[in-house]
Amino acid sequence: MKPFGYVAAQDSEHAVALLAEYGKGAKLLAGGTDLLADLKLTPHPPPAVMVDISRCADLKGIAITEAGLRIGAMVTHSEIVNSPLIRDTLPALAEAALSIGAVQTRNLGSIAGNLVTCVPSMDSGPTLLALEASVTILGPSGRRTIGLADLFVGPRKTSLAFGEILVEIVIPKRNVGKPTGFQKFGLRKGQALALVNAAASFWAGEGLFTEPTIALGAVAPTVIRAPKAEAYLAGRPVTEDAMAEAGRIAATEAKPITDFRATADYRRDLVAVLVKRALLAAHGRATPNRKDIAS
Amino acid sequence: MNVTITVNGEVRSASVPPETTLLVLLREHFLLTGAKTGCDVGDCGACTVIVDGKAVNACLMLAGQADGRTVTTIEGLATREGLHPLQKVFEETGALQCGFCGPGVIMSSKALLDEIPNPTTAEIRNALAGNLCRCTGYQKMIEGVHEAAEMLQSTTTPATLATKTPATPALAALPQR
Amino acid sequence: MADDVMERDVSVLEKERVAPVETLRRSDEALRLPAVAPPTALPLEPPLVPQVGEQTRAVGLRAQRPDSRNHGLGLTRYIDDIALPGMLFAKIKRAGVASARIVRIDTSKAEAMPGVKAVLVGSEIPVNSFGPSLQDQPLLAAPIVRHAGDGVAAVAAVTEQIAEAAIDAIEVEYEPLPGVYDAIEALKPDSHKVHGGDTNVYASKIIKRGDVEKGFAQAYRIYEGRYYTPGIEHAPMEPFTSIADWDANGRLTVYASIGRITLARCDMSRTLGIPISRIRVIGTVVGGNFGGKNEIRHEPVLALLAKKAGRPVKGRFTRVEEFVASTIRHAFTMDYKTGVTKDGRLIARQVRMVLDGGAYCSFSETTLGKACILSTGPYEIPNSLAEGYVVYTNKTTAGSMRGFGAPQVCFAYESQMDEIARDLGIDPIEIRVRNMFREGSISSTGQVLHSVKVKESLENAVKKFGWEARS
Repeated sequence: MKPFGYVAAQDSEHAVALLAEYGKGAKLLAGGTDLLADLKLTPHPPPAVMVDISRCADLKGIAITEAGLRIGAMVTHSEIVNSPLIRDTLPALAEAALSIGAVQTRNLGSIAGNLVTCVPSMDSGPTLLALEASVTILGPSGRRTIGLADLFVGPRKTSLAFGEILVEIVIPKRNVGKPTGFQKFGLRKGQALALVNAAASFWAGEGLFTEPTIALGAVAPTVIRAPKAEAYLAGRPVTEDAMAEAGRIAATEAKPITDFRATADYRRDLVAVLVKRALLAAHGRATPNRKDIAS
Repeated sequence: MNVTITVNGEVRSASVPPETTLLVLLREHFLLTGAKTGCDVGDCGACTVIVDGKAVNACLMLAGQADGRTVTTIEGLATREGLHPLQKVFEETGALQCGFCGPGVIMSSKALLDEIPNPTTAEIRNALAGNLCRCTGYQKMIEGVHEAAEMLQSTTTPATLATKTPATPALAALPQR
Repeated sequence: MADDVMERDVSVLEKERVAPVETLRRSDEALRLPAVAPPTALPLEPPLVPQVGEQTRAVGLRAQRPDSRNHGLGLTRYIDDIALPGMLFAKIKRAGVASARIVRIDTSKAEAMPGVKAVLVGSEIPVNSFGPSLQDQPLLAAPIVRHAGDGVAAVAAVTEQIAEAAIDAIEVEYEPLPGVYDAIEALKPDSHKVHGGDTNVYASKIIKRGDVEKGFAQAYRIYEGRYYTPGIEHAPMEPFTSIADWDANGRLTVYASIGRITLARCDMSRTLGIPISRIRVIGTVVGGNFGGKNEIRHEPVLALLAKKAGRPVKGRFTRVEEFVASTIRHAFTMDYKTGVTKDGRLIARQVRMVLDGGAYCSFSETTLGKACILSTGPYEIPNSLAEGYVVYTNKTTAGSMRGFGAPQVCFAYESQMDEIARDLGIDPIEIRVRNMFREGSISSTGQVLHSVKVKESLENAVKKFGWEARS
């Protein structure tokens, strides 16, 4: 690797101060699994200084707060996989985390790192988007909270301004415990990027799709919702046929590209299949007493 | 920058450039060459070491990120008394051929067994998904981890052995893919 | 001299030895780490050489690798685990363009960098070509670049980091040349000729048995199909790594993870222009070969850098270089035409195959030969004609890889076998049994075969993969 400087931040405030101090030459280092690999492979000049936030204690932790389920920015994928709280309330989040990389990279990589790298195939994205998560951002002028969808701007591009850091991801209280399914299709089971991934979430009160949400990855410049498919499902009786139709509608909402991993047509077909499977998985979790957890 | 880590029970320090990875620190500064440079970008797992109980790619961690932590490498497994069961079993089952991936595979397996003493085949596959091997086809490694788990359990808690299921669950569990 | 002590009889104290020296030298297994694995005891009494049709006694026994104790302990020394005093690190600048002429190389910036001890370009190499059958591959391209992985310059520096920065600082100006990137395209008369001349075909093979036309005339049905297999990288876990070290008397020692020591010495002797007796190659434990480490790759470059710098030089491929600058398995395009009788017997087979050889020959001739010999499969076919050609393209060089062309043709003939079985309504196993080699069968090359166990192998496989239980 080319030479760069290194400084470890004590906490998020310190990190913001360090970013302000070092200016444009500074770059945040979280788990490092994307950043360090990129630095080794690309000819681009390295940052002047790495601000290591991987051990900031205030960016750790998974807990239920006033706002909902809070996941610290530096929580690793392994910590999500192994969190009893997440496994109990939102197992789809654990499944999505488990589908990322391999054990060694899941032990290093962080959820915020996955989100801010902002590749369209990120596996953390769809589930959080389907659960209408918000993110808290800390910057020189204080804290602000935005919807996760507003974080994503384009491939490898977020709405974070320079000097800002993502400090936490919050799943709103009303959605904690909401039955959710996550599906991923890659060329291999281990260590593969998603050709397509999808998450779906709905309450099945009185046998009707209630507040259905669908999110898709790797089929657009960012992770996206599928509003037409969601609108189709809302209020409809929960049947497998309706799920299949929602998949077909979602496929029309996807705007995939053809690359060396798969063709656009293949990805569109995958959307239809994976959305239906994600809905089925969510349905499998839709037990009546689940809603109690949220209230 | 100065880095101090506890490697295999010994406190070691070095003064290294900030861009030094944990892998380079171990291999070039501490001469612990057991962890290998295979791909250097976190795909192959040949550099796997255990940091604070977790298996990580040493090529994707900066030496500075490991400062103050406890690192176990392949060199830290065998003792004067003998080989670690994984080392013994991997040798006996032929789980190591060219051997280049071996230290990484053994460290991933050790991290697994430290967390789950009696893993299922699926759990072993998951734990080894980040370790590429071009020689063995993985079957003997999976078999080896099962056998090592048995050995570890029978040595640490002999009482539980009687209640355990069957003679060779290792082999029985293999065909399920 | 009277009473001279030297003339008296000397008595020697008779004392029983505690143990013979062999026993004393033997170490206590329990106290020693790493302990050497006990020698594997195979019951290898005579006859050591198995007779025709006889199984060797080692088969079915579990043998331990004598080196696996150290593998498991992490103590095996692969090349990259070796460091010599004063050792430098080398990096090779890759062309990054597939077909071009080098107009200008400027290494001055690299040479001026602190820590850079030697820079090398192709024109400085005494004999800038190598290869196991055709010596058509330059160590560093000069002046023609024939694929993106061609090296164009090399640097030795005190650290890997400085060497990397130095190759980035080398400026190369290219004049783009046309290229050819498909084996079938490369066959065409108007295609770009990778090595000049009037054709890209650099090796061919024809194997003929009987009369295929006559066979096709008698056939009940004729099946034709085109089969394609892609190039494949060996991807050994250990990247190519070597160390070159000269002694004060001009003798070269090369530590290399290479499978063919003498071939490597021959090639190095030729490229460096020094007698083979002055070159010593120390082959260490290889971290995976699979056919990819059968010839030299960057060793003479390292040797020349080491000579310039007067210090030992280590070079290690990156994983990217492994894919672009090593050899790969040949991509095959195969046309199969097979005539069969009504009961599914193969009576004529014509095979025409084109191998994508990439930029240089490497082990293409060997691969082509074996592919042609095996292209009719393990089946007795009275009339066969196999034709094979290898062509140059502006792609990564294809070389030896496990099986030397055998897996590619196997994919083709077994795929076609299934198509024939399906079309004739014959069980896929049954059609193979009807055609397979038996004791005394004659192969497509006219060889009379002995120790033929194809039927037993297939029956065994059928049992093991549960063919009967298929749905």
